Amino acid sequence: MPNEKDDILLKVEHLCQYFGPVKAVDDVSFDIKRGEVFGMVGESGCGKTTTGRSIIKLYDITSGSIYFDGKRIAAGAGSYKAAIKKARAEMRTADADGKTRLKAEIAEQKRQMAQALSDHKAAGSVTQIQMIFQDPIASLDPRMTVYETIAEGLRIRGEKNKAVIDEKVYRVLELVGLVREHATRYPHEFSGGQRQRIGVARSVIMEPQMIIADEPVSALDVSIQAQVINLLNDLRHELGLTIMFIAHDLSVVKYFSDRIGVMYFGKMVELTTSDELFAHPLHPYTRSLLSAIPLPDPLYERQRKRIVYDPLVEHDYSTDKPSLREVSAGHFVYCNEAEYQKYCQALGA
Amino acid sequence: MEKKLQVRSLRISFRTVSGKLQAVRDISFDLYKGETLAIVGESGSGKSVTSKAILGILAGNAIIEGGEILYDGQDLLKISEEDFYKLRGDKLSMIFQDPLSSLNPIMRIGKQLTEAMLLKGKARQRSNRRDFNRKMKLMEEAMKAANPAETDSIGEKCGRFNRLEMKHIELERAYNEAFEAASEALVEIENILFLIDKKALKDAGVRFREVREFALRAENPFVVTESDAPALRAAAKSLTTGMGRQVSSGDYSKAASELKTIQAILTCATSGERPDFFAIGYAQQANQGGLPSGDRAAVNARCRKALEEGFMGEFSRLAQKGLDFNDGKYARLRQAAEKELDAAMKAFEKGVPADASASAIVGALTRAVDASVNPLDVVKDSLVCTFSGSLKAFMETYRRGEKTNGGKIRKYERQLARHRKLEEKGKRPDWTVAKPSIVDLDQTHENIMHLMTRLKEHYASLDAAEATRDTVQKTERLIDSIQDNASGMVDKMTKRRARNKALKLMEEVGIPEPRKRYRDYPFQFSGGMRQRIVIAIALAANPDILICDEPTTALDVTIQAQILELINKLKKERQLTVIFITHDLGVVANMADRIAVMYAGKIVEYGLSEEIFYEPAHPYTWALLSSMPDLETREKLEAIPGTPPNMIYPPKGDAFAERNLYAMKIDLERQPPQFPITETHWAATWLLHPNAPKVEMPKAVSERIRNMRARTGGERNAQ
Repeated sequence: MPNEKDDILLKVEHLCQYFGPVKAVDDVSFDIKRGEVFGMVGESGCGKTTTGRSIIKLYDITSGSIYFDGKRIAAGAGSYKAAIKKARAEMRTADADGKTRLKAEIAEQKRQMAQALSDHKAAGSVTQIQMIFQDPIASLDPRMTVYETIAEGLRIRGEKNKAVIDEKVYRVLELVGLVREHATRYPHEFSGGQRQRIGVARSVIMEPQMIIADEPVSALDVSIQAQVINLLNDLRHELGLTIMFIAHDLSVVKYFSDRIGVMYFGKMVELTTSDELFAHPLHPYTRSLLSAIPLPDPLYERQRKRIVYDPLVEHDYSTDKPSLREVSAGHFVYCNEAEYQKYCQALGA
Repeated sequence: MEKKLQVRSLRISFRTVSGKLQAVRDISFDLYKGETLAIVGESGSGKSVTSKAILGILAGNAIIEGGEILYDGQDLLKISEEDFYKLRGDKLSMIFQDPLSSLNPIMRIGKQLTEAMLLKGKARQRSNRRDFNRKMKLMEEAMKAANPAETDSIGEKCGRFNRLEMKHIELERAYNEAFEAASEALVEIENILFLIDKKALKDAGVRFREVREFALRAENPFVVTESDAPALRAAAKSLTTGMGRQVSSGDYSKAASELKTIQAILTCATSGERPDFFAIGYAQQANQGGLPSGDRAAVNARCRKALEEGFMGEFSRLAQKGLDFNDGKYARLRQAAEKELDAAMKAFEKGVPADASASAIVGALTRAVDASVNPLDVVKDSLVCTFSGSLKAFMETYRRGEKTNGGKIRKYERQLARHRKLEEKGKRPDWTVAKPSIVDLDQTHENIMHLMTRLKEHYASLDAAEATRDTVQKTERLIDSIQDNASGMVDKMTKRRARNKALKLMEEVGIPEPRKRYRDYPFQFSGGMRQRIVIAIALAANPDILICDEPTTALDVTIQAQILELINKLKKERQLTVIFITHDLGVVANMADRIAVMYAGKIVEYGLSEEIFYEPAHPYTWALLSSMPDLETREKLEAIPGTPPNMIYPPKGDAFAERNLYAMKIDLERQPPQFPITETHWAATWLLHPNAPKVEMPKAVSERIRNMRARTGGERNAQ
């Protein structure tokens, strides 16, 4: 069953990541199941990369929690602080009864906050999740050989045995389609596709359960893209990896992912299986996104009509606030009650 | 169709530490007016190098080995940097791939956007004035020569035409300013009304003031009729009174009603036929009175009739006669040039003749050819214009080769002998002998012959066209072009107009709140936004040919779609000619009229967009099509194995043979020629040779094409 607890590898709950006044990620929740590829799409600046980086704790998250393999690995204090502030404000007008109740609540919130922060600290860095970066040139140290780059993670984890490191490095090199001789070379000696393979090797050597691939192919030529996608696909089956695949090329995401989450301005607006998403897109933003995919078909392209999405035109959230609701099994849409009814009807028809 | 740009056997190499890298190897293509040519290929296939050669911005280590790029009567490979200044930005413009490196980091966006407009504005005015005067003078001369009896009246008529043109310009300039203001006011009003409706209006004060300003500037007898003008003025003025109260209360109902009044007046003003100012100006001068009033279409018709009867009919008759005479004169000159050409071809057939006689022949030929260029042609004949320059350059090369080749070879042999001697003694010299760069005399001779043959063919086609010459249409086109020059002459670009134009462009390319962002620096924008600014800058000077070097590679789908739509829209509106460079075939389906697939410095397949997508013939095109997933793909992707070849050591045969699943033995030995498939479609692969085995395209591709046909089948049958 999809909802069984041990099936879920990564659970993100009410994740918020603010940079000053900018709400890069705002209250995003989703699960990633073991062994699946979870695609994330959205326009640049919508917070998909930030979400990925928050998960591997490159940032300290503002609020919310992230559970990996049942354990809380990251938590933010934002929501607790807000609750305490609210309780304190209420305290001024409350009567004696209310005051004791509020006091108890504040104490409880403080306890939970302390717990969250200690969890966050105790989890340290998570080597079970690794990342592949977008730009293969910028993400490799030009002064380190391929061997050093790939072995660095092992060294940092405390591996000292040269023989073990050698063996592992050569194994992953072959795994990603490079050869032993490449180990002594420097990144500039490789083509774009090979550089991205080095990036993959560096993350795979840590034997992670999950990989976050942040636009791994968008900087590559079309012919090389296919090589890298095939490689990721093979690795996924061989090593049983779970992959979070962040990209803006919808054709690639559709090809590669089991489930897809669509983000817009820091919110998750639609989340479902990839077939369902393309067959029944509900949220107007998703629809506009799908209508923009270019196809190699001139006659079709000339009559394609792109749908323009303007949140002011599409939604009226002045009275009823929206939230992420399950429209049909496993198909979540960010909507309010009226829209929810409309979507349900659309699916039923 | 008019050819805007012709690239002929272009060859470009780069000098590098490890040897000469052949980036572009003998490519040719034509660019037609109002069409988009997409150049598709992997990085390193030479597509960017080609486009940079067109713009004259190749890196310092580039060597142009041969070929020509003809544009507007010039060979872009031979003109000086100063001449390029007149073309770049104004006529040829480029959108670069990397927005970060193509924007100036310490200059505000607004300044970067208006820089070219302001700089080019003056130059454009000046060149238009020059063209106008030149054409008027030439036309007058031709007319006088054709009608020697009427020289006096022709001089008077040309003067009159000149004065009418000035009047026309004066009226049109005032109208244009008012019309522009009115259209902007309309757009802004629509936005504001929408925002008021949604209760999301911000900066109301600024925006209302702006509308007021635009509305007041829209006052012009041809835009807003006299009866409407007071109402418009009153509405615009009362729009901003009591502003503070409205903002604090958030109740904009009064303003909304004023806006609707303005909107109603301006909408009716900006719709309908555009006034014909040339005719109206004539009518006004003839009546010595005020401007004619009434329905715009009726005024146009009335004035046109008066103009035709009173002046233009006679003037065009004389102009036609003059033009006819002029054409006859240049046809004779062309025939003289043809004779010279025949003589020269005979003399050069066996080889370049000895010094004195050759230079005499070349001198006579170039003089005759230069004389045959008709200065009254609206579209310059690039081939004839550039012929003399190219011929002289080839001759110079040949002479230099004759002079220096012997010495260079002797020096090389001397060094080689010394090197051998040292080696025989058992020493290992730490120097090598570099091959001398000698001129290939045979090749140069062949180039000269090729040049002459092409001119001969071109002349023959001109002679054939002579029979169907349409003087009436030609005269019309000439007078139109003179009028265009006249409008360009007064089209003054002020800072304020440049700013307004820049803001409009920013809005067009989809930058929200352009007024706020106008004074930002590039680093304050995200990648996608930066790319939009680069596009806006490229479009700012209203170019003739737009080169887009992977403009959307770094952008996501929605923005990509927006930018592509924008380029398509501009192409339609302005008859823009576009070269679109990309590695993603999917992107160009909607854009391209023709597609050239490049690999390792050569065009391997060329054809109309439909032909490339529905009937691809080259294995590399198949591979490109099959290596990207589409929405229906489920099976494993067919990646192209390996990487492109190192072009310092280009392979002997077909460059793609190594990675080609369908490679044959001959592919490794000889380069395939271009096999024509249809009139507009060819591919360079041995698979099309009649003796080659029949090969089917990969299943992934054929299946996809079948799906595509199924999807658009209905419409196809309907067509």
